[in-house]
Amino acid sequence: MDVEISLDFGGTRRTIQQAFISCCEQLLEIALILTHESCQFLRRLWGGSGQEFSPNCQEDIGDGSLSSSQYQSHSPRKSAQNRKTGSRILAGEGDYLRHENNIKAQLPRLVSVACGFAKDQIIHSQYNRGKFGEDAWFMASNPQAYIMGVADGVGGWRNYGIDPGEFSMFLMRSCERMSHAPDFMPKRPEVLLERAYYDLLDQKCPIVGSCTACILTLNRANSTLYTANIGDSGFLVVRSGQVVCRSQEQQHHFNTPYQLASPPPGHDIKALSDGPEAADTIKFPTQLGDVILLATDGVYDNVPESFLVEVLTEMSGISNPVRLQMAANAVALMARTLSLNPKHDSPFSQNARKLNIDASGGKPDDITVLLASVV
Amino acid sequence: MSLLAYGEPAQSSDTDSTAAEAEADVLVDFTAMLQRQRQGDCGGWFGCDSKMQSAQSDQGYYLEQYVLGVLDFSSQYGIDYSISYTATNVIGRPTKFPAYGDYPETFPMRTYGDWWQRAPSATREIQPQNLPKLETHDYVVVYFEEFVVPTEVAIFETFNPGAVVRIWAYGLTKHWTCLWEATESDLARPPLDSRRFAPALKKTTMVTKTLRIDFNHSRLNYYTEIDAIMLCGRTVSKTQNLLAKQQRTQQSRTLLSPPPEVKDSPPSDGSGGPISYKLRTLKFQPNCGEDGASKLHEFINNDLSQFLADNCVDGGERPPQICLTDLPFEILLRILSYLDLKSLFRVGQVSRTFYDISTHPLLYAEISLKSYWHVASSELLCTLARRATMLRKLDLSWCGGFGNVSPTEFKKFLTQRGDNLTHLRLNSCKFLNASCIENVGIVCDNLIELSLRNCATDPPLLNFSCLANLKNLERLDLFQTYFETELLLSMLEGNRKLKHLNLAFCGVSVNMDNVAAHLATYNTQLISLDLWKAHFLSARGLQSLARLHQLEELDLGWCLREASLGDGLFQLLSNCPKLKKLFLSAVRGTTERDLMHIAALGKNLEQLDLMGILNITHERVYDILVHCPKLQLLDLSFCDNIMDRDFDVLADWSRQFNVDMKSSRR
Repeated sequence: MDVEISLDFGGTRRTIQQAFISCCEQLLEIALILTHESCQFLRRLWGGSGQEFSPNCQEDIGDGSLSSSQYQSHSPRKSAQNRKTGSRILAGEGDYLRHENNIKAQLPRLVSVACGFAKDQIIHSQYNRGKFGEDAWFMASNPQAYIMGVADGVGGWRNYGIDPGEFSMFLMRSCERMSHAPDFMPKRPEVLLERAYYDLLDQKCPIVGSCTACILTLNRANSTLYTANIGDSGFLVVRSGQVVCRSQEQQHHFNTPYQLASPPPGHDIKALSDGPEAADTIKFPTQLGDVILLATDGVYDNVPESFLVEVLTEMSGISNPVRLQMAANAVALMARTLSLNPKHDSPFSQNARKLNIDASGGKPDDITVLLASVV
Repeated sequence: MSLLAYGEPAQSSDTDSTAAEAEADVLVDFTAMLQRQRQGDCGGWFGCDSKMQSAQSDQGYYLEQYVLGVLDFSSQYGIDYSISYTATNVIGRPTKFPAYGDYPETFPMRTYGDWWQRAPSATREIQPQNLPKLETHDYVVVYFEEFVVPTEVAIFETFNPGAVVRIWAYGLTKHWTCLWEATESDLARPPLDSRRFAPALKKTTMVTKTLRIDFNHSRLNYYTEIDAIMLCGRTVSKTQNLLAKQQRTQQSRTLLSPPPEVKDSPPSDGSGGPISYKLRTLKFQPNCGEDGASKLHEFINNDLSQFLADNCVDGGERPPQICLTDLPFEILLRILSYLDLKSLFRVGQVSRTFYDISTHPLLYAEISLKSYWHVASSELLCTLARRATMLRKLDLSWCGGFGNVSPTEFKKFLTQRGDNLTHLRLNSCKFLNASCIENVGIVCDNLIELSLRNCATDPPLLNFSCLANLKNLERLDLFQTYFETELLLSMLEGNRKLKHLNLAFCGVSVNMDNVAAHLATYNTQLISLDLWKAHFLSARGLQSLARLHQLEELDLGWCLREASLGDGLFQLLSNCPKLKKLFLSAVRGTTERDLMHIAALGKNLEQLDLMGILNITHERVYDILVHCPKLQLLDLSFCDNIMDRDFDVLADWSRQFNVDMKSSRR
């Protein structure tokens, strides 16, 4: 099982030691996943260490220096690129902590986690950060906004000898790097998507394929969510048991979503190559306690929405990333299980039936779940 | 020197408590040390620093810093909203080093080699005598976080190293100082591997946090790529800053006036005048034995007169001496016309006669301050305005950074001397604003060539509606400059004689199909057209371009995003038989059929770029090689259908057909 934890500490002030300890705890927690007793145990552990360390943290952080202060070498940007996969959780936290110094305390912050499964665990047996099979995702944080996105590589390209995951992965990595660029626009996720798409087309080494994508940014200044969506990945915002905002599926026809594409030469898929300008944009003011789910169609096609809403409602106002992670795990695991169940009456098969298409059971697909809570 | 010896200063600092505080910030770079050791270069910071640390441990600490931001650059491979192949990639730590290859995370520039100088669109430099031996083709200006006294500048080159020719530093006194300059031998044979290039810098006390790196591409086999730039040096405290500032202002130089170059002048610490200095540099050591003095006496008394007579040194027997000033004025003028601008200004200080000659307007008919970008200022423009009453060609490229040239002064200059201008180049001019451009349009109505490369300022200045006045343009260069489509269309309509047009990186707002249609209607004499990364050109636009029968050079790199080109390329090739240079970089829709057309119709092709085209196979390559006898350059990089095993065959063909074939891979 692949689990990824990223924390956005927003306005809180934490020391490195504390972050490290919480990391260890998370790892431990993942190992003992979801069993009731272990949860109880870990909650105690979590609560205890939090109290123990909180008095020190405000003094330590003031000079803005991190553990690397003994090397006086400056590396202003590129942090996202330099991330080493080997120590991914620690590195990730370091990044978020660095941003924390620039962020005012009163602004909204997002605690977010990710979880997912590749459809084919044999091909994708090795875990790569930001990738579940042909799905790709990223989370980034800068002083202006919190950004996260998912992309679902269209699997049909495998028949042409093309790895569908490369396109989506590259798009997400470009988005991640660009969200640290100085000209990043926190209110225009569609511009981010567009630039990342054109950046992909501007590679000397051609990247062929197509993908759907959904990017959302939480602008810290006005705590408003801005989203750009192409295709059938999407997001849900749940507030007190109700879906208050959601993305619309964009489909050409059944199971053929809108997509960003870079077709191989001579292959005329004009009908399926929708430019980034086709992106749906939504602006939505968030409140404290909102829970945001960003997921690929592997989730929406298999998990009934009522279940999603139920899980998300419980997470309202939760700032503990471990609990959030557990919820994300639950959603991902549920999606995974249902997708492999041939008797499950999935939303996908219901839609198919409406169109008189025979597709019963779950829909095996790559699954990516990003869960974020506004606190 | 052994590695142990390099490590010594660090070890000793551990034991010494006072030094340890200063040492704590040192990042010990073992790769660099090893490299230095291999090169046998002991002039690195670690060798010379041990002294400084003990003496001035309280005066700042040693700092290695990476680039914080890019202030300026002359060209880049990628488009500026992208993060691939752009100048901003030099920011921060190296991302790819020590890997070697063609990576999008680095900073390559637009050109390499001398191919672009052999293309039909090549331009001649104005006042070429001004150029240094290794001229600068491109540059990048970067800044760092902290002021330091530079001891080392390391450039991380990850692809085709060897283009760096000069390193400049911008001091507190607002003057540029050249910290290092390459010689021919430095560029001779760079390794085909990534390297951390840290040449031995000139010893200096200046304080800087801004560097400019100059590049010369002429020796490059392919694009060079820079991953990061590191500035190493010792920080200075505030008071020292001020002291240094005062010191430097006293020494500050006036522009183009005769102050001797630092390398010519005798070192201040040494004894003796310039002659003994010269002798020392020549390593002249007369071998005086014990009886040297008596021998010399003997020689002077007995043989000197004979020696002088033999060698015709004796003044008495020669015809009366001809002084340089006795030459006719025209001859002198001719002689002086070979001088570069700096020498011209110096000659003027010899005597009144020379001043009169050296200020003759004929010597200032063509002025280029491109090589003197570091000293160009409003005052210089003012001086030139007095002398250049017959100005025809003006090149102010790269001038005016950091507010040295005021827009007002430039406008004044243009108003006084601009009405006869035929050639005007204002590439990367930082002082340009909208009213400057307006002035160009109003005053310089005889312009034949206008070059406004890289004038993309923020906010964009070029709604240059007054440029529509220009009617005689033959060359228009808007490389990396934004403009409005409407204006361009009206300019194209007005300038029917246009021969060369460069619209590379023109921004996303321009509808290239309309431009192409306009070109086909009004500018049928067009010889060269550069549409590099003009994304909004479609197959329809390509068909319009096929009506430009005189075309010799066409750059369609990264245009034509469609899956298929239709028969556009066929029409182009059959209608434009003179085509010498055709760049189809990353025109992914190019099919095998198109490549056959190229082979069948491209009889005059000399340069062909097929980078990143997936459909090309080695059979098609052979076809092209056989049928295009004049071909010199063929770029097959990132053509994935050409397998690695074909490379040997390609290398054979390259020799057989005498074609330079490029095939870089990631």
